[in-house]
Amino acid sequence: MNLTRYGENGVRIKFGDAINLEIHEEVRRCYFFLKAIHLPEITDITPAFTACLIHFDTRKTSFTKLAELLSEREPDMALAALPEPAVHEIAVRYGGVHGLDMSFVCAHCGLTEDEVVTIHMAELYTVFTVGFIPGFPYLGVLDRRLNTPRLETPRVRVPKGSVGIAQRQTGIYPFQSPGGWRIIGQTETSLFDAKKEPYSLMQIGDKVRFIQEW
Amino acid sequence: MVEIVRPAMYTIVVDKGRYGQCAIGVPPSAALDRFASAASNWLTGNDASSPALEVIGSGLVLRFSVDTACAITGAKVKAFLDDREVEPWTTFRVSKGGTLKVVEVLEGFRYYVSFSGIMMVDKIMGSCATNLECGFGGYRGRALAAGDRIELTEIGLADIRIVPQKYIPRMHPPHTLRVVEGPEAHYFSEDSLKAMFQKHFQKSYTVSNMSNRAGIRLVGEPLIFREGMEKSIISEGVMPGTIQIPGDGQPIIILYERTVGGYTRVAIVIRADQDLLSHLKPSDSVIFEMVSMDEAERLWLGQRGKLFHVNAL
Repeated sequence: MNLTRYGENGVRIKFGDAINLEIHEEVRRCYFFLKAIHLPEITDITPAFTACLIHFDTRKTSFTKLAELLSEREPDMALAALPEPAVHEIAVRYGGVHGLDMSFVCAHCGLTEDEVVTIHMAELYTVFTVGFIPGFPYLGVLDRRLNTPRLETPRVRVPKGSVGIAQRQTGIYPFQSPGGWRIIGQTETSLFDAKKEPYSLMQIGDKVRFIQEW
Repeated sequence: MVEIVRPAMYTIVVDKGRYGQCAIGVPPSAALDRFASAASNWLTGNDASSPALEVIGSGLVLRFSVDTACAITGAKVKAFLDDREVEPWTTFRVSKGGTLKVVEVLEGFRYYVSFSGIMMVDKIMGSCATNLECGFGGYRGRALAAGDRIELTEIGLADIRIVPQKYIPRMHPPHTLRVVEGPEAHYFSEDSLKAMFQKHFQKSYTVSNMSNRAGIRLVGEPLIFREGMEKSIISEGVMPGTIQIPGDGQPIIILYERTVGGYTRVAIVIRADQDLLSHLKPSDSVIFEMVSMDEAERLWLGQRGKLFHVNAL
């Protein structure tokens, strides 16, 4: 197990170096296993594309002790049950006033708007991680024909519900927030409700399909 | 009831923070100076995890419609209760009809105000901290404005307490932030790491006015990526205090509002120095100093005394 320390109270478990479903499946197993066994010394877990970051309470354990414990439990982790992923259909208004960067994306990729939309809708995406802000799903893997760089200078305000792309990923902004992804559409689906469990519409491993709304 | 007559530059409700929800992207949104926030609650007879107001700038005016006790900690301020000057880091009693005014911030950046009693504010996922970007927690998920009122219940008769002088930190620039190595430290050239972190060689950085509650941006000698190294990473979890280096080489210190990031993480500000991040204000100068993990742990243990004193351990 590739365990390294992150600051005084973090442990990183790394499962690989690439964005793909095999590596991600290991991240998910690790996350759901640790969530299920509920160790009081673990205060939070951030699963992402290739790694799980574990936040621990230094009053209750040390890096050495926790690393030892995690290594011991590795065989159980590999057998952990995974929840059935939910499938979300997200209706999107593409282009025009809804897609601030659609013309840039078309020019960059050498595609028409219809082609961009068709390619974006064709994939059943996986939620690789949720974060930077609450409920924001990092979805992959985006078709290589739509591979577009982020904005050089991020926008101070990206409107709530914006659907963006960045390199081989696509995502949805649950709140108005700063952001550098290229915006190609808008959805009215609410992705986060702070007052109601499970708060986030999507969780790691869920599947997402975009459908066009006129 | 406490009425906000004037909210200063910015006033929000904070507490120890929101934990356990990183997997859905919910950050802690904790008080940036956690010792000061806990101390203000100790002074007013509340739990260390109770909410407090986090304030930037002078000009805060509060009017009380109840008898309670109050305390101001964090940045050093000049404050008056009606016509009487009040001491920071000390409990003071407030009578119904009293007005508290903060007229000047003398040292540091953010100060914390607590009242004896329970503030009736929104508790979301176990915390009253305000997530300003997403609009939840604290006072209706937003910064306080003139005319807002916070109700207090279960007001106790707080004893008069004083935080010993030895526990009150220095908040004057230049600031020295001690750090430990981050996961991508090896992405950078040896010379530039030395210029940023090595004692006696390190260059100073200036806090940019583009800083906010999500991150502190610094301007100075850019870090140089080693040849052939990627300038970003596959997005991964980040811990508070992480120093990220974007493509332009200028550091950003992550605070309590982000859970994952795609920039390289060169170092992490040690926990013993993280409260100081609350007091970095635009144009302050900052130097970094790399320490070993053992040293970081030792320095954190050294803070137990003051945390224990205010019941925050």
